[in-house]
Formats: sequence, structure tokens, C-alpha cells
Amino acid sequence: MASPQAVTDAQLIARCLVGDDRHAFAELVKRHQSAVRACLRKLTAGNHALADDLAQETFVLAWRNLASFRQEARFSTWLYRIATNAWLAHARKRREELLGDRDDDVADDDEAVLPDEVGGGDHARAATLKIDMERALATLSDAERAAIVQCYHNDLSHEEAAYVLGCPVGTVKTHVLRGKQKLKRVLAAWNPGPAA
Amino acid sequence: MPHTTPDLRDDAADDWMEQALVHDAREHRDAYVDDAGFTASVMAALPAPAPVALPRWRKPVLTSLWASAGLGLAFALPGTVLDVTRGAFGLLAGRSVSLYEIASIVVVLGLATWTGTAVALKRV
Repeated sequence: MASPQAVTDAQLIARCLVGDDRHAFAELVKRHQSAVRACLRKLTAGNHALADDLAQETFVLAWRNLASFRQEARFSTWLYRIATNAWLAHARKRREELLGDRDDDVADDDEAVLPDEVGGGDHARAATLKIDMERALATLSDAERAAIVQCYHNDLSHEEAAYVLGCPVGTVKTHVLRGKQKLKRVLAAWNPGPAA
Repeated sequence: MPHTTPDLRDDAADDWMEQALVHDAREHRDAYVDDAGFTASVMAALPAPAPVALPRWRKPVLTSLWASAGLGLAFALPGTVLDVTRGAFGLLAGRSVSLYEIASIVVVLGLATWTGTAVALKRV
């Protein structure tokens, strides 16, 4: 009998489809739960409880729609697509809480910690930058944040990100570019060089 | 480093924002989110498996088969049925039976009949 690691995602999916094998699906969940939950934590700006709820919704939807997975993308990419759609649907419902009009107040200087104020060396600076990055990502629009997270944090190509987000590749590039410009403004205090 | 498109990130080498994002993304990918019962909660949230639907022809076919088996047995062993009936009657007639015992047997048989009928109707 093959070890669990030797069994591919495609074989597990086939078992789910042919024999309604829930053990095979549990193995798929175990394999991908970390990536999906981490992605959703990034998208929800660190709201772990909401991210886990959406991750559970993602896997239940994946189970229900497994027959429609045509293997045109990696299974993980397909999961990212479901997860992102679940998050976007949730964000649309609670737009006033999650999005708002942030174009005019992206700097959010009252909350940002200036790097010079951070003591304790490189580790403290890195930890503070991580927190500020999380806050800065939260200031982006849903589309910009999703594009940045897919391209950088999930390490997807622009084409894969376009599949996940359900939009053209050019749109993904635009969202990434605009997102980075906004992040630059929000995180300007971290710029080691002269202010742009 | 993510799969980049050159036209957007050609000047990435000296772009501090790019560096910060790449660093944050690397940390993100390196961090493993412990399962901590998540898989179990997903499996519990999956819809229950659909019950296997029995074909509609199953019940009449089964009834017919049992009836055929009973009739077949009666035709194959005609003397046995009569012998068993006679034997049972002889046993009952050979000993004195009180009115109380007869009443008890009637009550037990009646209860068994009603129970059997109720069970059969419930299953239909």
C-alpha cells in the first residue's frame, strides 16, 4: 500500500469522486488547510476566527463542487479561488466594516510606529514591520489586497492569480501596481532611502 | 521570489517596498498553521452522505418471493403440514386445559397478531 505522501492530490480527488471517500478528502484538507487558512488570515487582515470560518466554508464548498474541478489548475490554486470568492462575498456583505473609503486616509499615521522608535534590534524591527504591513494591507481595496496576496504571499504567477480572482491578467497587474503604490505611501516611514 | 512579470518588477532590486513585500511573503509561506482540530471540524461540517435509495420494485418482489416460497413448501410437503397440525391438536386435546389457560392463549395470540399487524403497517 502506498504511503500517504506518495498519493497525489489527483488520486485523492478521484477517490472522493468515485467512492465518496471522506478519508481521502480529510487527507486533502490536512494537506492544504495551512495554506488556505494563512491566505485567508492575510485577506482578513489577521482576523483568525473569521479566516477559519471562511476556510471551513471553502473546504465544504470544495467537497460539494469537487466534480466540477477539471484539473486545469493545481488543486491548491482552485482552493485559493474558492477561498478568495468566499472572502469577497463576505466583504461585500460587511463592506462598511472591512473596506470603507480608505483612499483619503491611507497614511494612517496615528497608528503607524516609526522605525526609529523601535528598540530591540532587527527582530523587533522585523516584528513591527510585519504588524505595519498587516495594517497597510488592510488599507487596500479588496481587489488590490487579493492581487497582492495571491502574487506575493501565495507565490502565484499573474496568470494563476487571474484564474483565482476571475479577471484578466492585465487587471491583476494593475491591482498589484496600485496596491504597491498605496503600500509605499502607508509605509513611507519604513523607506530607508530619501523620501520619495 | 514570486513568479514576476518583468515589466512590473524590473527595478525590484532597489525597491524597498518590493523587498519588504517579498520578506513578508516569505515569512507568510514559512509559517505553518497548526491543524488543531480544523480538519475534524471541516469533516463534521460536510453534508451527510445521501441515503441509498431502495428501488421501488423491491417490496412487491420480496412479498411475491416469500409467498411463492410458502406455497412451494406447502405443495412440496403436503403431508407434513397436516401431520404438524394433527400433532399440535393431539397434544392440546390429550391434556386437560383450564378455561384460564385458554383465555391466556387467546390473549397472547391476539396480542401477537396485533403487534405483527402494527409492525407490518408501520413498514409499509
